[in-house]
Amino acid sequence: MQILEQTKKIYKQLLWTWNPGSDKEAGDAIVKNVMLHWFPNKVSKGSLSWMYSMYLGTISFVLFMILVGTGLVLMFLYVPSVERAYSSVKDIEFVVSFGWLLRSMHRISAHLMVAVVFLHMVRVFLTGAYKNGKAVGSNRPLNWIIGISMLLLTLLLSFTGYLLPWDQLAYWAITVGTNIASSAPLVGEQIRFFLLGGNYIDQNALIRFYVLHVFFLPVLVLLLFLWHMWRIRKDGGLAVVDNEALTQKPEKVEPVKTKTYSLLGITNGTSVHVQNTMVNEEINSVPSIPNLTRRIWLVTLGTFLVVLVLSFIFTAPLEEPANPTVTPNPAKAPWYFLWLQEIVTDTTLNLGFYTINGALIGGIILPTLLIALAVWWPYRDPSGINAVGVWLAPERKKQNYVFIGICVVIIIFTIIGTFLRGPYWNFYLPWEAWPTMPVKY
Amino acid sequence: MNHKTVKEKLDFVKKDKLFLSAGGILFLLITGFIFYDYITPEWKDIQSEFSDIIAEKFGDERAATIRTGLQQTYVKELNVADRCITCHQAMEWKGMENIENPFRTHPKEILEKHPINKFGCTPCHGGQSFATETEAAHGFTEHWEEPLLGKELSDFYVVNNKKAMMQIRCNACHRYEKETKGADAINRAKQLVNEKGCRACHVINGRGGTVGPDLTYEGEKSAEQYNYERNKGFASMFSWHIAHFKNPKELIPETVMPNFNFSSNDAQALAALVMSWKKPTMPIEYIPGHNFRDVPSQEEIEKEERMKNGPGAFFVNKQCFVCHSVSSFGVEAAAQIGPDLALAVEDVQSRFGRTLDDFLMKPTGTMDVVLSTMLPLTKEERLEAIAKLRQAYELKKTELKTAKTRQK
Repeated sequence: MQILEQTKKIYKQLLWTWNPGSDKEAGDAIVKNVMLHWFPNKVSKGSLSWMYSMYLGTISFVLFMILVGTGLVLMFLYVPSVERAYSSVKDIEFVVSFGWLLRSMHRISAHLMVAVVFLHMVRVFLTGAYKNGKAVGSNRPLNWIIGISMLLLTLLLSFTGYLLPWDQLAYWAITVGTNIASSAPLVGEQIRFFLLGGNYIDQNALIRFYVLHVFFLPVLVLLLFLWHMWRIRKDGGLAVVDNEALTQKPEKVEPVKTKTYSLLGITNGTSVHVQNTMVNEEINSVPSIPNLTRRIWLVTLGTFLVVLVLSFIFTAPLEEPANPTVTPNPAKAPWYFLWLQEIVTDTTLNLGFYTINGALIGGIILPTLLIALAVWWPYRDPSGINAVGVWLAPERKKQNYVFIGICVVIIIFTIIGTFLRGPYWNFYLPWEAWPTMPVKY
Repeated sequence: MNHKTVKEKLDFVKKDKLFLSAGGILFLLITGFIFYDYITPEWKDIQSEFSDIIAEKFGDERAATIRTGLQQTYVKELNVADRCITCHQAMEWKGMENIENPFRTHPKEILEKHPINKFGCTPCHGGQSFATETEAAHGFTEHWEEPLLGKELSDFYVVNNKKAMMQIRCNACHRYEKETKGADAINRAKQLVNEKGCRACHVINGRGGTVGPDLTYEGEKSAEQYNYERNKGFASMFSWHIAHFKNPKELIPETVMPNFNFSSNDAQALAALVMSWKKPTMPIEYIPGHNFRDVPSQEEIEKEERMKNGPGAFFVNKQCFVCHSVSSFGVEAAAQIGPDLALAVEDVQSRFGRTLDDFLMKPTGTMDVVLSTMLPLTKEERLEAIAKLRQAYELKKTELKTAKTRQK
């Protein structure tokens, strides 16, 4: 008997790092566990609505999980060395079973994640969801800042992954990117040196980008994501819930059947206050399990299918091996930085003896300003409680216009940089053919 | 509870379930398609066709010996893993010489000097070694700069000598040879380089004038490094070189390079030669006629000659000089490990208490090991050695006497 007790104890010690001393302690542990509290017990219909959140946050997370899944397999196959990186990616493409699909899905998910995280930010802004509601301890501006950090990390994750195949596309995109970073005043060269681990894009840069890409950045995103989700619960759920509470009208409630206790004994009937009105939040909400969980599965499956189909249509390219002596024409940064590259070239001007440093304006000052503005704005936003969790609230008309304006400019410049800039960064309309680049044979 | 709400709730639940099922079915279909695509690659068809041909020609038993699945030739020295043999399975089969590719036997003669396990395929033929699909493997695809240098490319450039293109690859290793067997186009081009005196203006392989650019690694350049504005027709490095050899001024008006009126054949051969001038990436033993060796000085050569032909020639030829000098004969030990043999007659007596004759016939210690394993000497040779050592001793004694007299 004693042996059995002992075995049980050892078994528990192996599986449980902590043994609750009382039922209360055990209960608290569950209440405090963030993993068990992704979802509230009940979820409002507004929160479930496709039109309100568009599930962009969920999609971002699903994309992240696809990236982690495919990335973990790719880590077994990819060799982060200047000599072997390119051929290991070629082998993934040609001889690894489903290797092409893994790589293609990884790449498509990465591109989609940049786009979806950006759209998620747009949604949050346009619904005023970064504003505090009535919940006690609500701190939505903080969650907005966590979100902005995650957007930046997403860009960095994609950027560090860009170098890994060690082909011409990788090498020159990183050249353009790190050159822009080096135009920062005073510390520009040091930043570039720090990013590359030297003065040239070589083995040091590759291993640095690799370790950042496969470990530090994903872990950081995951931690921030946990915080992001935990804050949503602390902030009282999605902002739409605050709006629902505000707009709900008290409804007439059926008379409640009660038992009346009187000196005469127990009689069936209604109490004195027969007619009643109340706000019944229960009417507008459904249990999270299975309604929300089913929805999440649906979004996961949908995202997975889209990634799968897109992976077929746009197979991941692999250009010639990296060659520092041959600059491809045009040399482009990754697409999500092309609006910056476009602004860099448009603001690089020679005025007589004076040259305006476009890389400083487009590459450093402008993005820094935009990030600072985004971080500061939730604290400055003058709109009231009625503008929380509503699409395009009239009260926030002006700021929405400015925000949309900035987004449209970014998107337009991205499109110009991606599709309309050809060799020598010349402008080509979509129907104009680019001059053919010469080949060896 | 409100009835209307319940119905609404049911509505979205129904829709969600429907979409989830539809998505699930679509997912299964796509997964099925991916698996189908995976188990039916192009090379499997080609392999089964090859197997059928072999079965028909040589019987089922031999067909059963054919390897199936992805095949590759890995040559560590050249850093290639060529998957060509996945489809080109008849490379070393006898009796498939007259069958169309991919099932033809490789010409035997060239394989004797260039075995597949040492050279692979793409180092000679070009193409993309990684690939496992025809189009990509032959390198006629975007982002691959070294296509198969075969019939397709020869036809495209209307090269009269069908083997000329491939010789670009031959010359990657054979670049230091004046003439290479079988590489007639390259040989002709090399001959032209000498005849026309290209080295008057250009450095080639470290030798030549500096009027024009150094051409030693011209093949290393990328296509973008040439100006195609005046190049009519297809913008490629190869066609640029051909046009440039035919009429340099047409492509570069300000050039001082004369027009040699090369024929099309010669211009093509020269273009092939220039394209072949790449930086060698293969190990040195792959390069015939390479010049990487230690060059002895004139003094060292003379000394070696003196030692070989002087009175101590015996000790040089029998390798004794590796450890021992024979100073009176002018033989200097390479590693000066053992004592000077000029004094052996005295030396052996004092060291071993035996006469030289006795010791050399029945040596002990190190000399026993050396003479019984590394430098075996016959009885006659031993006697000759003894006689010569006595001679050397006499000479040494005289030398020492003369030196003493001089000192006095």
